[in-house]
Amino acid sequence: MWAYLTRRLLLSSLAIFGVLVITFFLSHVIPGDPIAAILGPQAPDHVIEDLRRRWGLDRPIPEQFVRYLGLLARGDLGRSIATNRPVLDDLREFFPATVELATAAILVGVTLGMAVGIVSAVARGRWVDHLVRFVSLIGLSMPVFWLGLIALLVFYFWAGLLPGPGQLDILISRPPRVTGLILVDSLLAGDGAALRNALAHMVLPALVLGSHTLVGIARITRASMLDVLGQEYIKAARAKGLAERTVILRHALKNALLPIVTVIGIYYGSLLEGAVLTETVFAWPGLGRYATSAILSQDFAAVMGVTLLIALIFSLANLVVDLLYAALNPRIRYE
Amino acid sequence: MTAGRRGLLWVGLLALVLGAAAGVAGAPRVPNTVLVMGGVISDAVSLDPAQAFEFTSVWAAAQIYDTLVDFNREFNRVVPELAESWTVSPDGRTYTFRLRRGVRFHSGNPVDARAVEFSLQRAMKLNLTPAFILTSFIARPEDVAAVGADTVRVTFKQTMPEILMGSVLANPVSSVVDPALVQRNATPTDPWANQWLSFNDAGSGPYKLRAWSKNVKIEFEAFDGYWRGAPRLRRVFYQEMPEPAAAMLALQRGDIDVATDLLPAQYKQLQGQPGIEVKTSPQFTVNYLAMNVGYEPFGKKEVRNAIKWALDYDALRRIFEDALDPSQTIVPPGMFAHLAERPYRRDVARARALLREAGYERGFRAELIVPVGPPLPDVAAKIKEDLAAVGIEVEVRQLRSADLLGIYRAQRHQLVIQRWGADYPDPDNLARAFASFDARQLAWRNQWDHPVKRTVEQAVAELNRSRREALYHEIQRVVLEEGPYAIYGSPLEQNAMRSNVKGLAASPLFALTDLIDAWKE
Repeated sequence: MWAYLTRRLLLSSLAIFGVLVITFFLSHVIPGDPIAAILGPQAPDHVIEDLRRRWGLDRPIPEQFVRYLGLLARGDLGRSIATNRPVLDDLREFFPATVELATAAILVGVTLGMAVGIVSAVARGRWVDHLVRFVSLIGLSMPVFWLGLIALLVFYFWAGLLPGPGQLDILISRPPRVTGLILVDSLLAGDGAALRNALAHMVLPALVLGSHTLVGIARITRASMLDVLGQEYIKAARAKGLAERTVILRHALKNALLPIVTVIGIYYGSLLEGAVLTETVFAWPGLGRYATSAILSQDFAAVMGVTLLIALIFSLANLVVDLLYAALNPRIRYE
Repeated sequence: MTAGRRGLLWVGLLALVLGAAAGVAGAPRVPNTVLVMGGVISDAVSLDPAQAFEFTSVWAAAQIYDTLVDFNREFNRVVPELAESWTVSPDGRTYTFRLRRGVRFHSGNPVDARAVEFSLQRAMKLNLTPAFILTSFIARPEDVAAVGADTVRVTFKQTMPEILMGSVLANPVSSVVDPALVQRNATPTDPWANQWLSFNDAGSGPYKLRAWSKNVKIEFEAFDGYWRGAPRLRRVFYQEMPEPAAAMLALQRGDIDVATDLLPAQYKQLQGQPGIEVKTSPQFTVNYLAMNVGYEPFGKKEVRNAIKWALDYDALRRIFEDALDPSQTIVPPGMFAHLAERPYRRDVARARALLREAGYERGFRAELIVPVGPPLPDVAAKIKEDLAAVGIEVEVRQLRSADLLGIYRAQRHQLVIQRWGADYPDPDNLARAFASFDARQLAWRNQWDHPVKRTVEQAVAELNRSRREALYHEIQRVVLEEGPYAIYGSPLEQNAMRSNVKGLAASPLFALTDLIDAWKE
């Protein structure tokens, strides 16, 4: 087990290094000038030249890369040209909002998605199944951006049930920053008003962002359950006279879980990359908008920092999924 | 746990969340002493006035800091601010300012001549993005000098008409910062405390900076010791709302009082709706199509003018939902010395005749580069259609700004769609950019080296207001008749607000006027 872990971590580091090299050179060879992009069309040429020197962008690309690795070795992700701050500070500021939203969305996706998938599999071919498949097709083809606006229109504007864009009402002060996660921080501060408010603000974006995940998980759950439900041991379990509930939840679901867990891992990983459209509609200060604007303005250090973070998340998510396999299926052993 | 109990638990949880939500949504609206604005604030990089150069940060700095002088609302007259009065030397180069007495910073420290000297010298020595506004007109930091406890002398490189002096000294880059606070927060690697000042307040303006949380909100609090009296709005929030549709819903529900970044179509839709007012003001910005004179066909004046006659200006305005003043000159409407002449309209026969005269009766091909993002690609498509009608085949290429500006600055474009927003409210800024090859701005990028550049230098040094106006009219006519730009309008600045918000208006330069004049009924 430990040998396996060590090997996996080593391989992951290699992969991450590869990602860094490719991202660095790709982002530097495509045409474009981050300084010009950030200063806009009006800044005088000498100001641009000056800044380019100050940021070391006038040096050869390999030299810049070695410099970047040197910084990285000291735990420094460099400075964002656009925000004029250390990239690490930016990530610390924007990533927690993404973690909260992604976690809420994956919870929505997993609970509702698996429930719907199981019901749909058990009721295969009946109207419930058709309805679920029809609705999920619509869900998948509905752009998240549009869905978000409709959700705001209905639940915020017309019904007045849920609050509008943002993580908190404007007049509610943010609890002191400890983890950066508003829910956790307001719990730590014992601030019930902020906690309630933050929860309410999270409902719509989590549902909207979770909707695609929900549909994906429902589909894979249905397929995997159908596969398992057709097997001999299920018939045997039913023949023993076990309750249908037990057959489905204990015997079938447990064995159907492997592919579902894989998909959940992948979904959670990509939710953690940030979701620029949902973040835009709901004014959510997450990683997605930061990453997108970094790419558009070719803000190298920021692009690299985000890439590194995402590569780490994915390696970790894959590792966790693989370890879960062993936990779920005793026949899988890592030597 | 039995299934029934588990079900109950879920129902309970759901009720809790919905209950909390309903309670939140039913919360009272914004009180009358609080103003909430919603728009895009993520452009702000730093609130240090020596660095602020984006819309949001420049506007925020203007609320936190005071400058020696200010402009009136129309931006055509210089009015006192920290300086009570001033005198100018006969050669128009040296201004001596007498400071208002008894003014204090938010910290309680006095605003004196030394603070003014320190602040302007600091901005020049830091030499960050907006510093060029100072360094273009003031040769050395020592040319700003305290000559007594409440007297400051500023010596400029050149003769400075009063509006130009105001353009430099009323600009937020010339804000007066509290030297004691700055020095206390300086570090060996950051001797001017730029990092500290980026997120903190060392001002004497009507509002104190309470908090700035990036991409979330900027929060101001009234400064009761302000020399003009305490502001009526006690707290002001500027909230990030990047999606215009969501911001519009929040405005209509009354969760925000002002929406600053809606789309032209939304402003149109909101006009006349009960409880909401849309305020419009000219904006000191010029939208243009530029032709690189270095590309052979555009070297001929007739070809350039053929393009100006080929465009359907009315159709282009419709792309902007009419939020575009149909001006065709480089000095935008509302600014001193604007020339209200609009000779060009769509005339295909005339355009074709001009092309024939230039030897291009069979037309030619050209590439048009345009930044991604609405509405400019639509403008490009319309221009392509208009030019096709006179035989010019245009290929449109959409580029990220990072790519487009690199090409434009290197003079490697043929046609480009861009806009120029005035850096300061004096026609010199636009005349210099559009007509002076030596300034290495737009005339240079489009390789248009015309003798009118000498008139630009003459106009900037002219102290007589009416003679100065005549010179700028002359420059505008030359650019109109010979220049490499087809100017298709000046965008209008629009803001939507709840109708109980008073005293706040759209402004031609900094998007919104000062908060100190605003209140809620």
